[in-house]
This record gives sequence, structure tokens and C-alpha cells, in this order.
Amino acid sequence: MSTVSVTIKEEAEAKKQAELIDYKMVTFSLGGKDYGIDIMKVKEIAKDSEFTYVPNTPAYVRGVYNLRGDIISIIDLRLMFNLYVEKKKEGEPENMIILRLSNNILGVIVDSTDKVVGVSSENIQPPHPLFGDINIKYISGVVEHNNRLYIILDVERIFGGEEELPEEREEKAEVEEVPGYPIPSEEKEELDLNFIADTLATFKGFYVTPVNYDWVKSRFDEWKGYRKTRNEDIQLRTPEEADEFLLSFYSPYTEELLGDDFLDEIKKILPKFESKTLSVWNPGCGKGFESYSMACLLKTLYPESRIKIWANDKDLLNITSAPNLIFQPENVPESLKIFLAEGRNGYQFKSEIKDLILFEFHDILNQNPFPDVDIIIARDVLSFLPLQDQEKLIKELEQKLKPNGILIIGNNERLTEYNWIPVEEAKISAYKRKLEE
Amino acid sequence: MRVEYINPFVEAAFNVLKEVLDENVKRGELYLKSTSQPVLGVAAIVGLAGDVEGRVLFDMRMDTAIAIASVMNSEKLEKLDDLGKATINELANMITAQAVTKLHDLGFKFDLTPPSIITGENMEVTDQGVEALIVPIELPQGKIEINVAVRERT
Repeated sequence: MSTVSVTIKEEAEAKKQAELIDYKMVTFSLGGKDYGIDIMKVKEIAKDSEFTYVPNTPAYVRGVYNLRGDIISIIDLRLMFNLYVEKKKEGEPENMIILRLSNNILGVIVDSTDKVVGVSSENIQPPHPLFGDINIKYISGVVEHNNRLYIILDVERIFGGEEELPEEREEKAEVEEVPGYPIPSEEKEELDLNFIADTLATFKGFYVTPVNYDWVKSRFDEWKGYRKTRNEDIQLRTPEEADEFLLSFYSPYTEELLGDDFLDEIKKILPKFESKTLSVWNPGCGKGFESYSMACLLKTLYPESRIKIWANDKDLLNITSAPNLIFQPENVPESLKIFLAEGRNGYQFKSEIKDLILFEFHDILNQNPFPDVDIIIARDVLSFLPLQDQEKLIKELEQKLKPNGILIIGNNERLTEYNWIPVEEAKISAYKRKLEE
Repeated sequence: MRVEYINPFVEAAFNVLKEVLDENVKRGELYLKSTSQPVLGVAAIVGLAGDVEGRVLFDMRMDTAIAIASVMNSEKLEKLDDLGKATINELANMITAQAVTKLHDLGFKFDLTPPSIITGENMEVTDQGVEALIVPIELPQGKIEINVAVRERT
């Protein structure tokens, strides 16, 4: 139980930290350690291997680089701070972060760039005098995020400041040409979008991946306009704002029985099933609304078949309420009403429907020990798993679905990047397996 | 794990422990696990068969086992001797049997095997293809993790 209370504590802490994200940084690694640079100082990320060597400069100046017409100098941070430099093969590109400082633009080479991380500035702590590798005066603070400690570099101090670095002389010539160089809007937009993706994951456990990127992108454009008219910052600062952002993501009839129109759409795309047994998998079933709807639909369409629905969720509270869910008849679609029966506590589905469904407390990322199924309905499930788990589940769905089976995912989710063929005629997001010839 | 199975196990564990130990029993948050898990030192196993297949494992530290056995026998045991082991076995049997009785009332038919007890350091338990429900129970004597891994017969 101590583990449980620890996780609760951790969650509470994570929540507390998540509440105020007001400092964003681009993170990268140098000599195996994690570092961050204030996003406001970062112009862009680039990769290249060709730098023009400039003689008579310190070793850490790798040369100059042509950034779309602007000549900027490139500094190898690892050499500058006497860290281990991994030898790159001939022609292998270096990872660069292009910095926009108050008086110039320059590029730094790092081992690898990571991502944009948002933290609360309250959590940034002053540097400890024992941080060996890099002179303490160049560090503006340290911050922990997702169990990783990031050292935040003060790039203005490193490259600006009184210390006249030799390479600055060459730069000054070109800096004058580009005073206040504006960030190209495309790149700014990408950073904004990345940051929104980051906050969605923190607040709502929603992960932006190829499965939902199209929706996120269009929602982002809409959101931008909406926030502009209200004169508000585009970023999501609270879980409530993240909720608002995701409002239009959820598929129709989330947390309620599927409506007749939706059931009709499913009916249209159901293939011809040869077998006398029909099995359905409903991962992430929540309180079981989809499972009940599917049970009724299939019972109506195939009264003679043996129907089995495997419904699972890892939310204990939701899944335990599923088998005894009470319905208000006025909320039940017409076609399902015949399956309702009045019990002691209110209306429930008849046992001929209930008996078709097996509700399980189960984490779909663990092994799924049931036989192959004809239909999978997993709406808005994938998007709430991190990319790696998403891909694992997509493979699992592929393995569990029979060759002529059908997969229904969230209306705003797509599987075009994967081994699946969309069912074109459907108004809902349905897929078939791409079978190998 | 089928939702209907969860409560009988949780309730049975809670009731039996409260009754035999007459102590403050607290239940932790339930969770699922599918990877190999360390065993704390003393593990009593009861097998299940019938509508399902699987097993229930009662896992605790050696000092917890000794303390519980001492309370149940109303005498201070120094080590987990035959009497102590028999006591832990009996505890496992009582909890599982009560859960199975509750399940029987709900219409599920289970049979159980006699409990066996395993003791030792640095042990792990792995269940191929079944995920385990962990019911952590906190007692003044220490903690018992009740680890239920069952699956439907298909």
C-alpha cells in the first residue's frame, strides 16, 4: 500500500506542477546530461554537416554556416565546455540549435535535441555550486521534469556579456543586417503546436500522434483565431482549458448509448459474417455504453448467432459500474428500447443482452487473452496512449481482428499511417486490415 | 479480470482478516500487473478451476507472517514453524473459500485446490498470459498483497 500512497502523492505533485506552466524550454543533451534553453532564445532547430572553417579562431568555433542567406557562426558547446565529443562519420549531420540572442544570431552544436518542455518557473532552482562540467555562472537554474533533471543554460551570458568571444567579431558584421529578425511564422507555429501537444499530454493524457494529428492541426488553427478574438494567449494553462481544446475531439455519443444514426452507419459497413459466432472487442469501454449498444445492434441483426463482447477498461470505478448500469428510458435510442427491462432500481438491459457482454477490469497493454474477434470498437482510445503504446495497441488490434473483420475508431482518429485500409463509404472512422497477398 | 470477481475477493479478504486479527484493516488501491513480480518472502497459493482458471497468491514478509500467525494462535511464535505455516495456509484457505462462496451465490462455479505455502528470499512470480489483480491490505502487522490471476476459460 505504501506504493499506492506514493503514486497518489506523486500524482498530486505532478498535478500541482502542471497547474502553472509559464516557462518553456528546448531541451537537448550534452555529454549524456540533459540541458534546456529558454524557448524565447531559440529561433529554430537545424541539422547540417557542412560548416565553413574559419582560421585563427578558438577550437570550439566550428565555422560559419549559411542559414538561408544569413551567415552565422557555429559553436560546438561540447568543445566549449570541455565535454566528450562523439565523433561523427563523414557527412553525418550535427544537431544544431539556432539561438536568437539580444544582439546576434548564432548556432550551437549539441549531442541531440530532445523536445520542448514546459515547467513552472517556480520550480526552477538556483544552480548548485557542484555542477562540474559547465561554469556555474553560465547556468540560470535547474529544474526537474518527468524525473529528469534539466540544467538551464543562460545563453545570453555565455555568448553575450562582457567576455568578448573572438568569434563575435565576425558576427557583428552580419548581425547589423538582420536587426530584430522576426521568427518566421511557420516555425513559431510549429513550436506553439508542439507546446500545446505537450500540455495536452500533461493535463489530459492526450498524445498528439499521426492518429490524431490532422484533427489537432485544424483544431489548433481554429483555437488560434478563437483565442485571438478574446485577446488571450494561445497556450493552454489549466486542465480546464485543455478540456475546452479537446471538446470537439470526442466522437459522437461519448459516455452515452450510440444513437440510431450512428448504429445505422455501423450497420452499413458490417461485412458478411460466415461464422455462427460473432465476437466483439471493446477496449476502453468505460461504463460500457458502446458495449451495450453493440450488443443490442448485433442481437437485432443476427438473432441466431452466438454473440460475445469482450469489454475492458483499466478505470476500476467505471468498469465496476458497467454491469449494473441504470438507464433513463428517454435517453435510450428507439431501436434499443425493446431490450430494456424495469428492475428494482430502474431500467436496465435485459439479461439476454447483459449476458452477451463480459466486462473486465483489464489493462489492454498487458496481454489480451481472448480469441480473435470480428469487430473491434475502440473510439478515442488510441489518442489517450503515448505513441509507443499506441503503436503497440495498433499491432495488437491487427493481430486480434479476423481477416474480414472491422475496426471502428474515434471520428477524429486516422490510421492511414499504418497497415489499415479505411472503409471509404462510412461516415464513421472505420478500417479493415490490409491483408498480405 | 471479470468485474464481478473483484468484489468477492476484496470483501472476503477484508472480512476474514478483520475477524481473525480483530485489528484495524485498511485496503489500498487495487491495480493490475502483468510482469513478473517480486514475492515478499512468504507466499500462500490457492489454485482455482471451474468457470475460470488461475490462482490466488497471498504474499507477505516473513515478519508479517510470524506476527499474524502469533495473533491467530494466541501465542508468540519465534519463527515460522509448522504451526505458523499451517496457520497462514488456513488464512489463505479461509479468504479464498469465502470469496468462492460469494461467487457461487452470484452464479459462478469455482473449485479450489488445497493451499500450498512457499517461503524464501528473492523470489518472483510470473503468470504467462494472465494479468494479476493486486489487492493490497495494510495491517498493523505489516502488509499482505493478495494477487489474483484468473482468466475465463475460452
